[in-house]
Amino acid sequence: MARHRKFGMEHNKAKWGIIFILPSLIFFAVFSFYPIINAFYLSFHRKDLLSLRAPKFIGFDNYTYLFGSSNFWNSVLSTTFFTLGTFIPLLVFSLILAAFIMSRKRFQKFFQMAFYSPAVLSSVVAAVIWLLVFDPRGLGNQMLNTLFNSPGVDHKWLATDTMLRLSTIIVYFWKYIGYFTIIFIAGISSIPKQLHEAAYIDGANIWQGFWRVTFPLLKPTVLLVSVMSMIQCLKTFSTQYLFTVSGTPSKPINVITLNIYNTAIRDHRIGRASAMSVLLFIIMLFFTGMQIKGSKSDDVTYM
Amino acid sequence: MKQCFLFLIIVVLLVTSSFAANVEIVYWTHTDTARTELENRYIEEFEAMYPNVTIKRVYNEASKMGDLILTAFSGNVGPDIFNLQTEQLFSYIVNGRVSPVDPKALGVKNVEEYVAQYSKGTFQPVTYDGEIYGVPLELTNWCIFINKRLFREGGLNPETDYPKTWEEMMEVSEKLTQRNGEIITRRAFDFRYPYYLVSMLPMVQQLGGDIISPDGKEAIYNEEAWLKVLTYFRDWGIHGKNLGNPTYTNARKTWNKDNGDMIMCLSGLYQEGRLKTDNPEFYDSGEWMVVPFPVFEDAVNDLGAASYGHFWMVNAQSSKTKQEWAWKFLDYMRGHAEEFLEYVYLVQPIKTLVESDLFKNMPYSNVFLEDLEKSNSVYINENGKMIEEKIGIAVQAVMLSGTDPADALEQLKKDVQEILDDSY
Repeated sequence: MARHRKFGMEHNKAKWGIIFILPSLIFFAVFSFYPIINAFYLSFHRKDLLSLRAPKFIGFDNYTYLFGSSNFWNSVLSTTFFTLGTFIPLLVFSLILAAFIMSRKRFQKFFQMAFYSPAVLSSVVAAVIWLLVFDPRGLGNQMLNTLFNSPGVDHKWLATDTMLRLSTIIVYFWKYIGYFTIIFIAGISSIPKQLHEAAYIDGANIWQGFWRVTFPLLKPTVLLVSVMSMIQCLKTFSTQYLFTVSGTPSKPINVITLNIYNTAIRDHRIGRASAMSVLLFIIMLFFTGMQIKGSKSDDVTYM
Repeated sequence: MKQCFLFLIIVVLLVTSSFAANVEIVYWTHTDTARTELENRYIEEFEAMYPNVTIKRVYNEASKMGDLILTAFSGNVGPDIFNLQTEQLFSYIVNGRVSPVDPKALGVKNVEEYVAQYSKGTFQPVTYDGEIYGVPLELTNWCIFINKRLFREGGLNPETDYPKTWEEMMEVSEKLTQRNGEIITRRAFDFRYPYYLVSMLPMVQQLGGDIISPDGKEAIYNEEAWLKVLTYFRDWGIHGKNLGNPTYTNARKTWNKDNGDMIMCLSGLYQEGRLKTDNPEFYDSGEWMVVPFPVFEDAVNDLGAASYGHFWMVNAQSSKTKQEWAWKFLDYMRGHAEEFLEYVYLVQPIKTLVESDLFKNMPYSNVFLEDLEKSNSVYINENGKMIEEKIGIAVQAVMLSGTDPADALEQLKKDVQEILDDSY
């Protein structure tokens, strides 16, 4: 009888739970789930964005075309360069910065605010600011030339392939480093202080305290940040879009998302763009799965 | 009988009230302060003439218009009236998204009479399957604007030493460009990089080349002509004489400032209107002039920059009533072509306007007109934007990445051929 009542209460709770999450569920279904399903559907069809005709089923033709397209593979390469060049430094430096900020006794809030502030800016504003910095007559050249005493040298920030890739990486790194630092700070704050105190009583120094206590217990946060930053980097769009619109070469920074946009909006080939977005989704799913699987093998918990 | 009569009255009332009902026409266009003022006045006047009609004018950045209109149309919620550049309009026409002109609403007997009101070739980019689409908002071609003071500062006489050929352009620019080491502090001239079909393709065509061979099968026709132009761009860029490149600030906007950064730029007659607004002192100074688009010394075709236009279009999915009012409103606006020229410097290529004293008395209008008469219309194709991007990649490769022009040309030919052969 009691069991039945408990079940009834839980059922009641669950009902209210469903009612509360229903609005966001509907929102997600309409604005996220439906477009995802639609992209899968369209990826097997030929459809011009402006055509009034119904999409024509073509099986795997869009995928076959993409696998044979040098343009698509160039995008894969550009995305790989960008992701590796951004995600690893983001992960490493945000952890270092978080540890640095947490080790300060004063100005912790100031440092948090200072590092986080670029994340508040829109990507468009960030890209515009950096375009001015990277202009041949901008701060980028002036700073390097002062530093290396090389007046009049143009470092071609927006011109050569390598420098252009580096420029997009710098913009993204600058914008998101604070965001991931804050996540690490939250992770470090959640580690009980007693563990560090016990380690120091046992004779550990700060370095050992970090590597033997903080870092192992921070693994879930490291996983979260690595997955989030990797997905963010794979989805990068606005920096590359604004750079190319402003006249930089497109080939070195034609990341998959930019290619999807151009294929759909400029070329009107929405079926092919959908196939590309499905492939990007699979790539993201694969790497996220790998990261989660890799991190499970050495889980650490408080005793 | 009584009931029947009552029913009839109700039907008549309903029908008449539906005729008198408010019609809202949504009109999307791009930002242009002077044109906004003018068109808002026309809207007020039109609404006063027809109280049952409301025109809702929505404007956005010119660079965003293509995406916004495309997104709206792909969701079947496009505006009743919109304007876009001719290269972008072709897809709307072939996909039946815009309606052919309505001669009656445009105040003419038939399409022939409408076409006859405009200069020859005006409707070439918007003619499809024997039908004419749209009302011209402007027809533009580009010439070279010169800052005479800065030209003289470089020790040259603008009246006699201005570049007539592309070879002279390179020579003059070498003399006038100022640098701090590798960094250019004063550009003599620079191209308008994203618009390769408007300004670079005519350079190729001057040498006898084209995007497609006359039989329509071969991409990048007359490779020799393309190679010469790509080599020219290589020599212009950082791996050549370092005279400019796409990573510097937009030349046309910088030129208006008269701040010593830019001596020559490529632009249309509308630049005069913008100069008048942005920098009236410079406009009135008499220290600027316009000269024709240069031609290669060994050109086989004497061509100016390609002409392109903006056309007002009417959404084919709008109701018939809305379409009719939309055409009527466009007819009202085109009836004020003189004011578009006088206040916004936009040329609606109506014969009477082009022949008027107003047009002839505009500074350097004769230079634009003479160049226009020897210009081709901009390349129109469903895949035009894709091809333009591939040309851009080739130019960027030779100018910025140091790719050999022959290699860039080989890649360009392959890419454009792939676009032409792709039957998506």
